[in-house]
Amino acid sequence: MKFGYEFIKGLWDENPTFRLVLGMCPTLAVTNAAMNGLSMGLATTFVLVGSNIMVSALKKVIPDEVRIPSYVIIIATFVTIADLALAAFFPEIYRVLGLFIPLIVVNCIILARAEAFAAKNSIGKSALDGLGMGFGFTWALTFLGIIREILGMGSVFGIKLFGEGFVSWIIFILPPGAFLTLGLILGLFNAVLGKKKKAQCS
Amino acid sequence: MMKNPIARLIIVLALISIGSGLFLALTYTYTIPHIEANAARDQEVAILETLPDAVSFEELKNTEFPIYVGLDSSGNEVGFAYVAEGGGFQGMIGLMVGVDPEQEIITGVKILSHSETPGLGARITEAVFLDQFAQKSISDNFIVKEDIDGVTGATFSSKSVSAILEQTLPKAVEQYRESGGGK
Repeated sequence: MKFGYEFIKGLWDENPTFRLVLGMCPTLAVTNAAMNGLSMGLATTFVLVGSNIMVSALKKVIPDEVRIPSYVIIIATFVTIADLALAAFFPEIYRVLGLFIPLIVVNCIILARAEAFAAKNSIGKSALDGLGMGFGFTWALTFLGIIREILGMGSVFGIKLFGEGFVSWIIFILPPGAFLTLGLILGLFNAVLGKKKKAQCS
Repeated sequence: MMKNPIARLIIVLALISIGSGLFLALTYTYTIPHIEANAARDQEVAILETLPDAVSFEELKNTEFPIYVGLDSSGNEVGFAYVAEGGGFQGMIGLMVGVDPEQEIITGVKILSHSETPGLGARITEAVFLDQFAQKSISDNFIVKEDIDGVTGATFSSKSVSAILEQTLPKAVEQYRESGGGK
């Protein structure tokens, strides 16, 4: 496979949210508004790229027996850097996402990419893989955030879309709304892609 | 390379941890001034916003909790602001409350910190809700749905803000007067 594919696969073919269905905790928790989804996605991208590069660079040094603790230390380091940097330079975003940033540590996409990809591939490929997966995660979270924000608050990125008469569907910005939206979208994607696959077969 | 595999495990893990610690120490030293500056600026903005007539402020000494006296451009006292805290729906809610002790009214309320439900309880930070408290008497009970319109879908969070104000106001005014404010 070519270099470019390592980046592109995360956007669609192996999209962490819609195809691999990984990292559901942040996906469900923070997508109640488009801005939250976008910021969470970008913070995760930073951690993914950073940890993929480090894991790939150290893959020959780290013994097999302690690879998981080593990866977790590396990931936690990047998460803390992201946490401090957001608090210092983007206090507005930090105020909303502050609680969720430390939880990036337990996002399984990151450990999964370290274990399944970065530990076996070159630094360049691992960086591209992290970037692709990160952007795939980001667009998925932003997309969910936009849908939930429109239905639940009648706005997108905080900009009101409808007049005063709009009755918001509050359930969509609450936890059940996360499950409803994600479930329906996954179902829709599978239905559309399933048809495509059948067509290819016949 | 190394003969003893256990020693190798320990050394590698230790080196990674040391590297991580070094990285974090650097990041911390670099970001902490910004983080502290942000907190100080938030505090300052909140004090001046809750005391609309003030252009500067100074902290009162010897009080149980921080009280900031607002001053206008010619140095006259225009009121005081204090930090109030109390339980919300999911965690503590921190408020900055501005008071005009002469007319005995609230001049403004701002939320400093909270962990309410995003999109619902978190909307207690919006001006539509908070501005209702301005100009109300400090002895008011701020009953939600009677004196104050609560945030839709977040009655508990709205009531919490009211309750914190009701509980802390008398004490704050007392502290302010005891420590020589308003003279």
